Amino acid sequence: MSAPQKNNKAIDWSEVKQRLETARIAIEHIWAPTAGETKQVLEERARALAREPAQAESADERIEVLEFTLAHERYAIASEHVREVYPLEELTPLPCTPSFVLGIVNLRGEILSVIDIKKFFDLPEKGLTDLNKVIVLESEHMVFGIVADAIGGVRRILRADIQPSLPTLIGIREDYLQGVTAERVVILDAGKLLADEKLIVQEQVE
Amino acid sequence: MAKQNDAFLKKLLATFRVEADEHLKAMSAGLVKLEKNPAAGRYAEIVESVFREAHSLKGAARAVNIKEIESVCQPLESVLAALKGNQLTVSPPLFDLLYQTVDALGGLLVGDAGTPEPRQVRLEPLIRRLGNAVHGQFAQSGMARPVTLAQHTPTAQLPDAQVETAAPAEAAAPVAAPSPVTSLTSETVRVSTQKLDAVMRQVEELLSPRLASAQRAKELREVTVSFVTWKKQRARIRPTLRLIERYAEKADNGAAGGLHKFQAPEFPAKALPKLLEHLEAEQLFMKALEERLLRLSKFAAHDRHTLAGMSDSLLHDVKEMHLLPFASLLESFPRFIRELARDEGKQVELTVQGSEIEIDRRILEEMKAPLIHLLRNCIDHGIEQPSVRQDRGKPPHGTITVAIAQKDGGKIEILVADDGAGIDAAKVKAAACRLGAVSAEEADKLSAQEAQALIFQSGISTSQIITDVSGRGLGLAIVREKVERLGGTVSLESGALESRDGGGTSFRIVLPLMLATFRGVLVRVGEHCFVIPALSIERAARVNQQDILTVENRATIPLDGQAVALTVLGDVLELPRRKLPHQDKTGKNQEKTPVVVLGVGHQRVAFQVDEILGEQEVLVKTLGRQLARVRNIAGASVLGTGQVVAVLNVPDLLKSAVRQAAPPPAAAETPAGTHEAAEKQAILVVEDSITSRALLKNILESAGYLVTTAVDGMDAYTTLKTGTFDLIVSDVEMPRMNGFDLTAKVRADKRLGELPVVLVTALESREHRERGIDVGANAYIVKSSFDQSNLLEVIRRLI
Repeated sequence: MSAPQKNNKAIDWSEVKQRLETARIAIEHIWAPTAGETKQVLEERARALAREPAQAESADERIEVLEFTLAHERYAIASEHVREVYPLEELTPLPCTPSFVLGIVNLRGEILSVIDIKKFFDLPEKGLTDLNKVIVLESEHMVFGIVADAIGGVRRILRADIQPSLPTLIGIREDYLQGVTAERVVILDAGKLLADEKLIVQEQVE
Repeated sequence: MAKQNDAFLKKLLATFRVEADEHLKAMSAGLVKLEKNPAAGRYAEIVESVFREAHSLKGAARAVNIKEIESVCQPLESVLAALKGNQLTVSPPLFDLLYQTVDALGGLLVGDAGTPEPRQVRLEPLIRRLGNAVHGQFAQSGMARPVTLAQHTPTAQLPDAQVETAAPAEAAAPVAAPSPVTSLTSETVRVSTQKLDAVMRQVEELLSPRLASAQRAKELREVTVSFVTWKKQRARIRPTLRLIERYAEKADNGAAGGLHKFQAPEFPAKALPKLLEHLEAEQLFMKALEERLLRLSKFAAHDRHTLAGMSDSLLHDVKEMHLLPFASLLESFPRFIRELARDEGKQVELTVQGSEIEIDRRILEEMKAPLIHLLRNCIDHGIEQPSVRQDRGKPPHGTITVAIAQKDGGKIEILVADDGAGIDAAKVKAAACRLGAVSAEEADKLSAQEAQALIFQSGISTSQIITDVSGRGLGLAIVREKVERLGGTVSLESGALESRDGGGTSFRIVLPLMLATFRGVLVRVGEHCFVIPALSIERAARVNQQDILTVENRATIPLDGQAVALTVLGDVLELPRRKLPHQDKTGKNQEKTPVVVLGVGHQRVAFQVDEILGEQEVLVKTLGRQLARVRNIAGASVLGTGQVVAVLNVPDLLKSAVRQAAPPPAAAETPAGTHEAAEKQAILVVEDSITSRALLKNILESAGYLVTTAVDGMDAYTTLKTGTFDLIVSDVEMPRMNGFDLTAKVRADKRLGELPVVLVTALESREHRERGIDVGANAYIVKSSFDQSNLLEVIRRLI
């Protein structure tokens, strides 16, 4: 019992106080940063906040496309121009029309023309394909269907991932191309296709 | 977000346009009334109504923030206010100014092209003049024109270039473009709530047949289930049946053997009660089933009856909603006539009769351009200058009458008549000769009436000067084309030409009241079916082969003592010529050829078809926006079977037939010798994709085979049972029964076992190929590397 008492007597109170003081300053320092530090933190925060809209914009940079296959190639078309997809069951071929017009179909009472874009683009005929599906494209002034072999589904792709076209590789004229993705899906420009006057049949007997 | 806003704004603007269009129309109508009887007691009332319309328009424009309209309405209101307050009196220059203002406002509504700044600049003189008008000052009327003309000229000039270079096809646009009031109405239509309610009620009632059909479906399902139960019971009795069968066979053998062996087989006595029990139950079951089916079919017939009645009445009511009075089209005409006449220094009065008669909205819309064109013609060519008229003893002001009358058989007639100079047949002949449409001798032979009818031909005009209004000779051709496309006719009556005063001109247009249905004749050419409007068919006949005679290398047939040119419809439609199928060759139709004689005006041509299938009511639809105008085809129609067929354009067909100097059809019909050797081997094509099916059929047919098609394996197997074939070409992936299963089934069949099978498939893997060979296919062609010579080569090797 006597030894601790001895130790008690040996306590240097001023030293203790000083240590406490240092600790207090250190603690206070943690909770209250200096003006400069505050500024730095705030600036960082501001920068981070400022960055966010930029990120949101890049999310807008995705486009939603409908993928389909046609003559063993994969294509996609912006879904905003796609009204619907439906199976091709009956087709009435029309005489006196250009070869890219496959014929007309009855889509719930509406007569719709069906186009083979492969023929329209003058792509070489390759093999025999099913062309079982019709993708109905629509804009304010135009509506028609294009045939496809199979529908791959809808997905969103980053605009940044679309490479400019490689016309030599796929053979579709550049005018109708939005680009090619890394997986070599050819993205068609539906807007241009819908607005193209060359697609409109306007012929009269002389 | 921005996108949504844009869409909203767009919608708002569209609504505004419709509203503004109505205001403008009301203003125009008011101004015309005002000009006609300014002294009447209703003067103040009319001014007030026009004023209100202008004010409402201003308010509406402000709401959608179209400043230009607002800026024009402002001074316009001041002028109208001055009129109302009697600080200003009406005068011709004031009317001119007011009309121009309404026009300019109309132009602002339509023209979304061009940035607002230039438009603002263009409007400034008008605004200034309106400002001056309040104080009773008017600028030269001549100065005023550019404001409105500026909007018309670009559209009016464009066609000129086209006319010279391109086909008159595009000329349909020029007539439509400079119409007095631009078409805005077509996008919206007003329907009385009463009519709408009636339709709504009927649509709601459709719920009951829907529920009924659900009920029928449920009941049918139950019947199917009980049938399945019966099948199971039937299967259970099968061993018993076999026992008895075997006994019967043995007993038979014993009797036939004649040997009196007393080895009579033991009768399976234990089986008998079981069998009898089953038969008893079966009889009861069958009776119940019969009753159920009878009840179901009675209900189904009843449902069909109800639904037919409902849909008919609904169709009728909806069609009726499509009807609009002629007044809605004609209301803008008085003003248009007034302006046109004034520009030419003529005085013209328009009388309208029967404007309350209602007609299909779509017909009305289509008729706008032709009617405007006819009216232009009346003013430009028909009505003379006041001085000339007085010399001829006519009143100085000309009269144009537009009379609409209901005719029998769901038709209406529009008469557009003027009391002008009439049409000079000699001039028309001269113009036609110049153009080479007729030779000089031919022209001499033409009667006055026939000569006048020539003006409907493209390029013929009697006008000495080509004005921006008319004179190019295209208009009447377009009028005729439009009217005919609507299933109507147009004819011309011109007064006594010899008398110096001229007897005026009248155009008589007969139109169907409803666009929707007309009678059509269904014909078959090869595997195509077409509808020909019955209105243009003079007759359908069967012609003896020996009656077809060649005159100047063109085939002709005799008809009422006249020779009528004969062409093959398939050739005119540019369809590939097909060799006659077997059945037609052996059939007794061989020497009788069905023909359809089509005629418009004085022209008659007989068209050879493969078969006339009958006449029926058809509903004509447009081909969709992508097929704006297809040669020889007017539209499409959906038959009762759901099949879509093209409706032919008769005027086009006649022109095509004349153009095409084809060899006589009879001579070309004998198949080329090379194909004779093939002696028509029959191939069955099995493919579920319609495009591939058609392609395969085409390839094989042009190679000289007789082709039958089936849509899947099941269909093919049934078809095989009923006919004889030399080979099958089949897809693999198909619904119901695929190509592998079909091949296996064919191989298992005693009669078909040896039939060669060619599989054409998208499945490229080795396993699939092996499976194809396993089931017994003779050849396996992969679609991705398909080409027709390859297929034909394979087929030639097999048969």
